[in-house]
Amino acid sequence: MGDADSFRMRMEGVRYRYPRAGSDALSGIDLEFEQGRMYAVLGRNGSGKSTLARCLNGLLVPTVGRVTVGGLDSADGASGLEIRRNVAMVFQNPDAQMIASSVEEEVAFGPENLGLEPALIRGRVDRAMDLVGIRELARRQPRKLSQGQKQLVAVAGALAMEPRFIVSDESTSMLDHDARERVLELFGRLRDDGLGIVHVTHFLEEALLADTVVILEDGVVADEGAPADVLSSPDEVRGLGLRPLEVTVVIRELATLGHRVPAGVLDIEELLSWLNA
Amino acid sequence: MAERLTLEEVSYSYPLPGREDLPALDGISLAVEPGEVLCVAGANGSGKSTLAQVCAGLLAPTAGSMGYGGEKIEGRRRLLSFRRKVGLLFQNAEDQLFADTVFEDVAFGPRNHGLKGEELETRVASAAGHAGIDLDELGGRSPFSLSEGEKRRVALAGVLALDPEVLVLDEPFIGLDFDNGERLKGVLGAYREERGASVVIVTHELADAWSLADRFVLLDGGRCAAVEEKSELVRGDIELAGLGMRLPQWGALARGLIRCGVAVADPSDPVVLARAMAERRRASDGR
Amino acid sequence: MVGSDITIGQYLSAETALHSADPRLKIAATVSAMILVFTYEGWGLVAFTGMMLVILLAVRLPLMPLLKSLRAVWVIVVLTFLLQLFLTPGEVLWQWGFLSVTDTGLMNGVVFSARIILLVVLLGALTMTTPPLKLADGMQSLLRPLKYLAVPVSRVATVVSITLMFIPNVLEQSRKVIRSQMARGADFESANLLRRVKDTVPVLVPLFVKVFHDSDELAVAMYARSYAGGEGRTRLYPMKAGSMEVLFTIAFVVACIALSFL
Repeated sequence: MGDADSFRMRMEGVRYRYPRAGSDALSGIDLEFEQGRMYAVLGRNGSGKSTLARCLNGLLVPTVGRVTVGGLDSADGASGLEIRRNVAMVFQNPDAQMIASSVEEEVAFGPENLGLEPALIRGRVDRAMDLVGIRELARRQPRKLSQGQKQLVAVAGALAMEPRFIVSDESTSMLDHDARERVLELFGRLRDDGLGIVHVTHFLEEALLADTVVILEDGVVADEGAPADVLSSPDEVRGLGLRPLEVTVVIRELATLGHRVPAGVLDIEELLSWLNA
Repeated sequence: MAERLTLEEVSYSYPLPGREDLPALDGISLAVEPGEVLCVAGANGSGKSTLAQVCAGLLAPTAGSMGYGGEKIEGRRRLLSFRRKVGLLFQNAEDQLFADTVFEDVAFGPRNHGLKGEELETRVASAAGHAGIDLDELGGRSPFSLSEGEKRRVALAGVLALDPEVLVLDEPFIGLDFDNGERLKGVLGAYREERGASVVIVTHELADAWSLADRFVLLDGGRCAAVEEKSELVRGDIELAGLGMRLPQWGALARGLIRCGVAVADPSDPVVLARAMAERRRASDGR
Repeated sequence: MVGSDITIGQYLSAETALHSADPRLKIAATVSAMILVFTYEGWGLVAFTGMMLVILLAVRLPLMPLLKSLRAVWVIVVLTFLLQLFLTPGEVLWQWGFLSVTDTGLMNGVVFSARIILLVVLLGALTMTTPPLKLADGMQSLLRPLKYLAVPVSRVATVVSITLMFIPNVLEQSRKVIRSQMARGADFESANLLRRVKDTVPVLVPLFVKVFHDSDELAVAMYARSYAGGEGRTRLYPMKAGSMEVLFTIAFVVACIALSFL
């Protein structure tokens, strides 16, 4: 499988069209994802974000082009299992992902499907629950947890696959502020531990935590780069159907009033310290 | 001006068979004024969805009383006539769409209220117009063939077609991107303006209602923790983090400015905020 | 979000002996009892009902939810009873116009409706004490021999488990849709039956759309976690039939067989 440095997800000329659809959901995507980094994928409704996420772990196979994970082609049926093991997913609706009747068995579901010995499953489940910090919920019924707790269980279930990447398809969009913070903090920690995180979202604040931001529009990559480069122009962001960061809007207004705020200021603290300088 | 909708010490518990009832609301008192936009905010599980359904007359309070236009809501007849005055848009409202065509879906409510013929058509056309749905273009299409944003607006049209005086929306912005969200805000603002209707926005994200709402009802564990205006929220009279919420970015910016000694008139307007900052810079540059 | 009042087919978290029993044994016992119930007449039914009651009380399974699940079938039970009551030839006990009640009719009415009730109780006890995933695992394992007859065993097991997982979801969704259409003036509380029937379309369509969508999402989530229909699956807690459990199951099945001779 090669060492961690060389393990990447690659999309090359990827197009995807849903059966019976009139146009492509993805129309020519070239991207590369590395471990140890967090990527935020942004875009308006229908821009192809979810389709992209589903192509990454082989749930969808490109109509044209190819997706490779650690060198394995997702179109090759034989590598499907290997790809899904390395690229775990967390979905939007926590209720539609809970399968088992207790949290620990929920977390165990993936490793069970891999056919591991019970002792090995136990180890993975405990490690995953500890990483996420839900050990005390082990015996609870997933259905009875709060939305935020359920989503943490879903992340633990993904981690128990011992993947190299986690793809989150709007996993924070149904959560309240506290729960969202917890999930994002966890993603940051996992990234620092060397996992690759691909987080699909439509909150720009969340994209600020990423190393790389990818903005999709009509199934193609409209912009890609560090948050400070991609998100600092409110008009560009607005043009792509996204809510611009408030700070950038104020900076633009300040510019029309003749006050130039240095580039790269994206949050309130930085803006206020400029003001008081 | 008399209050439109009032809740007095309203509690609601969900009945659970063979177990103790599950309390969701505990002694909520509030008044919705004519023509105001009220935001009901709270974290997941704070009881806000239940409150939305109580406000719409779909759940009868297990304790406390409600009034409409100064009259107490008692008995089935009053309840039914009250329900006709209030429109409720559910979370993921597009889940309620069922008819073959957009027109028929929007017409479902007014038909239930006994409207027919020309009257029905005018009502549907006006509701669709309010909701930003072009009936000439979409009226004959299947609602299931529309985009997410369009579906949500068709669902809204279905509620507006009841011509409500109070419009209650449960998490109307979930799943909508910025453009669709802004469009929805425009629709709500215009409906309030033209109809003189009260709008109640139920949300977990204060930012959703920041530019629209006049007052904010903050829920915590089924209780009303506070009713505040924007300026009070900015001032930080109540610790939002303790309620599982946070101040929207505009508010946080305004708060930062106020702490730096800059006065802010409207904490939701970027131009106002920028002007205040520019003045401050000029003042400090001048020194 | 909120506990539902209909419990048919729904798992109920508790710690009874039935909950911890091996799903394969529970399925085997339930299926044999369900078949044998059809052979019971009079005293057989009474004895079986008594036996079930003793077992359920002994393991302290809450009976209320189990009885509640009967609400879903009461129409069928009543209809069966009436049809048998009036349409079976025999010695006339009571006559009113063209309707006559015969001794065999009365007997058959009681027997047939009792059988239906017992079937529901048996199935209810199984699904109440066995989470859907364990049920699928159990079925998968029991039906394995059928694989050689080209029966898609894992698919059957998966479909059954997804269906069961979805019962709470369907109930919750239907409540939601009903309320949202009520908010649009639909009248589900009216005494007018025609109106109520008419208003079921606006409920059923969104319900189907939503349930299809959600079940697709669930299937995708299972697939993404390498579920391939249960083939080659291991367990965190492997299914293990304790010798006492096996003994009890055998005794139960033998008793069920014996009752059919009563």
